[in-house]
Amino acid sequence: MMKKSLKPFRDIIALALGHLTVFKHVFKRPVTLEYPEKKLPLNDNFRGEHALVVDNEGKLLCTACGTCQRVCPSFETIEIEKEKNESGKFYPKNYTIDLNKCIFCGNCVQYCPFGAIIMTKEYELADEKKSALKLDINTLKKNYSDSIIKKTVKSKR
Amino acid sequence: MTKNRLKINIGPQHPSTHGVLRLVLELEGEIIKSCEPVIGYLHRGMEKMAENRTYLQYLPIVDRIDYLSGFFNSFAYCNAVENLAQIEVSKRSQYIRVLTMEMNRLSSHLLWLGTFLLDMGATSPLFYTFRDREVILSLFEELTGQRLMYNYYTFGGLRHDVSDDWLDKVGDFVKIMPKKIQDYEDIITNNPIFTTRTKNIGVLSKNSTLQYSITGPNLRATGIRVDYRNSKQETGNKEHNSHGLGYLVYPELDFEIPTAKTGDSFDRYKVRVEEMKVCLKLISQCIDWLKSNTGEIISPIKQHLLKVPEGEFISNVEAPRGVCSCYVKSDGSGNPYRVKWRTGSFYAVQILPKLLENTFYPDLMAIFGSLDVILPEVDR
Ligand code: SF4
Ligand code: SF4
Repeated sequence: MMKKSLKPFRDIIALALGHLTVFKHVFKRPVTLEYPEKKLPLNDNFRGEHALVVDNEGKLLCTACGTCQRVCPSFETIEIEKEKNESGKFYPKNYTIDLNKCIFCGNCVQYCPFGAIIMTKEYELADEKKSALKLDINTLKKNYSDSIIKKTVKSKR
Repeated sequence: MTKNRLKINIGPQHPSTHGVLRLVLELEGEIIKSCEPVIGYLHRGMEKMAENRTYLQYLPIVDRIDYLSGFFNSFAYCNAVENLAQIEVSKRSQYIRVLTMEMNRLSSHLLWLGTFLLDMGATSPLFYTFRDREVILSLFEELTGQRLMYNYYTFGGLRHDVSDDWLDKVGDFVKIMPKKIQDYEDIITNNPIFTTRTKNIGVLSKNSTLQYSITGPNLRATGIRVDYRNSKQETGNKEHNSHGLGYLVYPELDFEIPTAKTGDSFDRYKVRVEEMKVCLKLISQCIDWLKSNTGEIISPIKQHLLKVPEGEFISNVEAPRGVCSCYVKSDGSGNPYRVKWRTGSFYAVQILPKLLENTFYPDLMAIFGSLDVILPEVDR
């Protein structure tokens, strides 16, 4: 048990030490960032808005196999309209991802057997209309070309 | 209700309730005479959700049960499924799981420390803890792709391996962290305002913690050394801890389990700060192992076609807020038949009426904050 008469002194020392520790931080560089003007660099694994991979000939890698639908935890988020082309191969006539329902888990990217879908580093998705968050096939293609221009495409593992 | 009793309502939208908790209090002057927690504002149907999803589809959702320690929930669920389907987990995966979970525990305790002191009116520690937590979250973002909802574990392994570069970064963080923890202690531990508001306030007795099934640091603050990470337990109640002790590679690692004596708010603070140091110790051991050993990470099983044989399993994990248990019952199909969660915070809320009786109203948030309750975990 601490002597009663000593307690005020110890308290003062403790308070002084505390204040000194806080004071030390005054001279340190700030760790915060003025967000909309400056942004933190994102790394390659970041899970942002989706994009469909387009190969050099401008064709989609996606074969409309539907695996991404089956692994998606949120129902009816990915909708695929499947069609056969002249050579008898399936391709997606339409492919929509509803970001209102998406939880950005990355399952669709992880389990796609053809590496046909990726996630870009785009994360500022706020919009006035809900419908703007429903990405159709053209937006998804455009996301891919945009992300290549901005070099924000996710590297393949 | 007598004439001089006042019934007031705290929350559900209250800055100190760490989510949405409603407390109905009866006050006599400044003294709390009764308290009734009203929970359920954050109920999302986590358990029911499992029943119409496949095992893999449910996996990203479990991170959201306790958003501050997603890895623990993920592991509890993966572990249950792995045991049911008899999936082997490689040693390297296990070490990475321990590494990520301990980092997660550290980040969770850091957030608790900041907000707990904010509840009591100290603002500076919040910024310091958030600064250090930010480092961990950026490392997680680099590894998994997101800061809180990791979805990194898969059945039988992990999504991808950690790089040496990443391990170096974690190593750097572990080196600077002890100094930061010392800073917190300099500011907080002996501060007379802090000690008068926490010492001998909100005392949890050994008996009542056991009666109310309180686990985690809140239990260890009363002096009972129960920790599921440790395979050698010092507890009288043997059948209570029959399985799941010393899970993963914890028995191979060297660490001690901090405890305190009286079980007041101050002891709960002390135990958590000591636990942060233990986390650092475990993290550096994992880094050493991972740097000198290689192994397979990606499990060969087809995750999205996984069918689990009939059976049931409970996996217990020592999460930052107490034992997190996941019960999975399978009927042999691709969807779980039933998933049940047991989370530490739920029990900490249940003890509030007992703990707050005849305490002063200004102590309410100091006591509640010290229990480290997080509401999404209570309501699921
Ligand atoms: S994105 Fe991949 S998984 Fe989805 S339909 Fe196309 S090929 Fe199949
Ligand atoms: S990220 Fe997850 S929730 Fe979003 S579309 Fe892909 S699988 Fe579905």
